[in-house]
Amino acid sequence: MSVLNQAARRLAKASIIDVRSFATSVRRLQAEPLQKPVLNKEFKIYRWASFGSPCRPTFENPDEPAKKPNLQSYTIDLNQTGPMVLDALIKIKNEIDPTLTFRRSCREGICGSCAMNINGQNTLACLCRIDRDASKDSKIYPLPHMYIVKDLVPDLTQFYKQYKSIQPYLQNDNPPEKGEFLQSQEDRRKLDGLYECILCACCSTSCPSYWWNQDEYLGPATLMQAYRWIADSRDGNSAKRKEYLQNELSMYRCHTIFNCSRTCPKGLNPAAAIAKIKLDLAAD
Amino acid sequence: MSALRRSGLQKDVLNLYRRALRMVKTKPPSTQDKFSLYIRYTFRTNASSVSPRDVSAIEHLMRKGKRQLEMYEHLSVKDCWVSEEMRSWEKDRA
Repeated sequence: MSVLNQAARRLAKASIIDVRSFATSVRRLQAEPLQKPVLNKEFKIYRWASFGSPCRPTFENPDEPAKKPNLQSYTIDLNQTGPMVLDALIKIKNEIDPTLTFRRSCREGICGSCAMNINGQNTLACLCRIDRDASKDSKIYPLPHMYIVKDLVPDLTQFYKQYKSIQPYLQNDNPPEKGEFLQSQEDRRKLDGLYECILCACCSTSCPSYWWNQDEYLGPATLMQAYRWIADSRDGNSAKRKEYLQNELSMYRCHTIFNCSRTCPKGLNPAAAIAKIKLDLAAD
Repeated sequence: MSALRRSGLQKDVLNLYRRALRMVKTKPPSTQDKFSLYIRYTFRTNASSVSPRDVSAIEHLMRKGKRQLEMYEHLSVKDCWVSEEMRSWEKDRA
């Protein structure tokens, strides 16, 4: 009998918990949600799709097999949107135009996928707040001077190839006999401000030198990573690494324009890293 | 007997096509037919879909093709998929 009673009590308890909502008092439960005023803002977004891409098949546009790029305008209510530009893009893609194409992943500035040119500045869409001034429109372009795959998606093949060419991994012929490579705190501190780079390509694509010599000049992002490995006390290959940069174009195309440091969405300073490589090479 | 004079872009396209056809030879004999059909179909349909004057579109297709080809050239790629559309396209040509 007592067992039955216990079970009944437990059930009753469970049902009370079920009914309970997030509101802690009756008044809160009855309160109506605040209606925010509508704040419409216009976003002008670069659109371009090649023919034969799955979203816009050729037959849709037989007269213009290769359509020219255009700016498409979308208006959304800022009070129904998250604070960042990426939120707006996702909202547009969800609710207005599912063919809008862009890269995104982590939405918190750690993956570097959503790099794009917003109001003339290369940045990560997920770290860029929407300007609340609704009278001005917001212009969104892909990263400048890159080949476009579709809409806001640039072709980063070359960028990744360059990164690969600096051999971004630890090279040391005499590893410690047991355990791991040890490093003094001072040596570790040299890597601060270098290892945080997420390779979003914002800096490289903001650099005029990189625009004009993409095939030869490595660009700030790659050079900063090159320095990250030159500066690493555990790496034994820095002579070779320096030798690789010792030519007209690979690094010396950097004319200290500082666009890279200005635009970096993570607040890093590629220009300083490049200056340190130059110093190292000059001191050799 | 001078051959057709070709523009640089035309040469680039033909070079890519040649490289693609050579890639077919490196694949296992049982799947070479499929690779060859895939290459020919992709080149012909893309070529007919774009005007020869539309240089930027052709360059875009070239970049796309180069990227794809680099993937197909990889030794671990042993087989490829051929759609019904490609087979009927080949039948029509014969």
